[in-house]
Amino acid sequence: MLRTALTCTTIAVLGALSAAWLTEGFEVWTAEGARRREVMQAPVMATPATLLGENLSGQSLHGLLTNPRQVTLLSFVYTRCPAVCIALGSSFQQLQAAVGASSSELADGDDRDHIQLLSISFDPAHDDLEQLTRYATLWRADARHWRIATVPDAAQLKRLLQAWKVVVIPDALGGFEHNAALLVIDGRGQLVRIFDDTESAAALAFARSLLAHRTSAHGV
Amino acid sequence: MALWLPLRQTLESSMTLHMLAQYPLVMASGALLIGSVPAGWQRGLQRSNELGMAGLLFAALTMAVLMVPRVLDLVLVSSGVEALKFLALTLSGAALRLSWQRAGTVVQAFFMGNVLPMLAVVGTLYQDANTRLCNAYLLADQQTLGAALPWIAVGILALWMLHLAVLARYKPDVLGTSGKPSPP
Repeated sequence: MLRTALTCTTIAVLGALSAAWLTEGFEVWTAEGARRREVMQAPVMATPATLLGENLSGQSLHGLLTNPRQVTLLSFVYTRCPAVCIALGSSFQQLQAAVGASSSELADGDDRDHIQLLSISFDPAHDDLEQLTRYATLWRADARHWRIATVPDAAQLKRLLQAWKVVVIPDALGGFEHNAALLVIDGRGQLVRIFDDTESAAALAFARSLLAHRTSAHGV
Repeated sequence: MALWLPLRQTLESSMTLHMLAQYPLVMASGALLIGSVPAGWQRGLQRSNELGMAGLLFAALTMAVLMVPRVLDLVLVSSGVEALKFLALTLSGAALRLSWQRAGTVVQAFFMGNVLPMLAVVGTLYQDANTRLCNAYLLADQQTLGAALPWIAVGILALWMLHLAVLARYKPDVLGTSGKPSPP
């Protein structure tokens, strides 16, 4: 009986250890939770990608994201998306209203602190320049605050999605399901935080605190 | 080996197939494999497995860990975790076969009382979640699996009860209730 008791104890300890390992100390139960924790602990740089979009074509994603006085709220979308992206679209619309209200006097090329909104389509096969423009019109995206683009190069897009652990899977209706979220990108082009698409107020507050922190840290 | 990759891809293309087809198949292969292990080795193992307790504990813990949504996602991208999953499932199948008879009704009941409610609760969680718990699987798939798990728990319970009823009728001594339900 002693041998059995010892074996059972060993099995229980091994079980608890593997469970703790797989859930990062019983903290995360989903891959999405793990992804968000990892990003908080170690920011992930955008991978090189060339954009397609109104007044953006040929520009590099990195160039669009890097600006020490800017924080970007980014979401991955596809313009045909019927469900989740409606929620994302309307939360972006609200964000645009909030961002626009606080910097309505912002002129082109202004270098003051600002928050940029960026939607990137992961479906370049369908989302060409025309579709992206249509999407911008549908959501009344104001290009001063909210840019809409895609990454036409499949290999570049794949690397970007992998780096940021954006998982896109085809659904039964010819569309996609994806881990839709609000990604906060700092002025160096690093993904620093991920929020639910319903947490736009929290994402905005976090983006503002990043800008405020940077300003105070540099004594500007 | 040529068959292996497409088979793995198919069985892991859906959350439902992953858990309801691949898991049981790998466990069944473990149960088959242990049959070809020399009897002397089996006896050696059984010395640490009185009343089948170690084996049943191992199987129950393996199932609990492998139903965590993050694990279902992780095995798709980490071959190391995938290999550990296959190992644990194979060993669980072997452990169940080695342990079930030895366990007797009381320990079996304890095992069932832990594993079956776990299946039902996990199923309910999968079904009731309005968001996807696995990034790699569709919401509808998760809900199908969630709806099936409690019924599977009920089915296993019914089969076990039937098994007990048959034992009570024909082999009452196995149940330790000899003499009570009189044989025909």
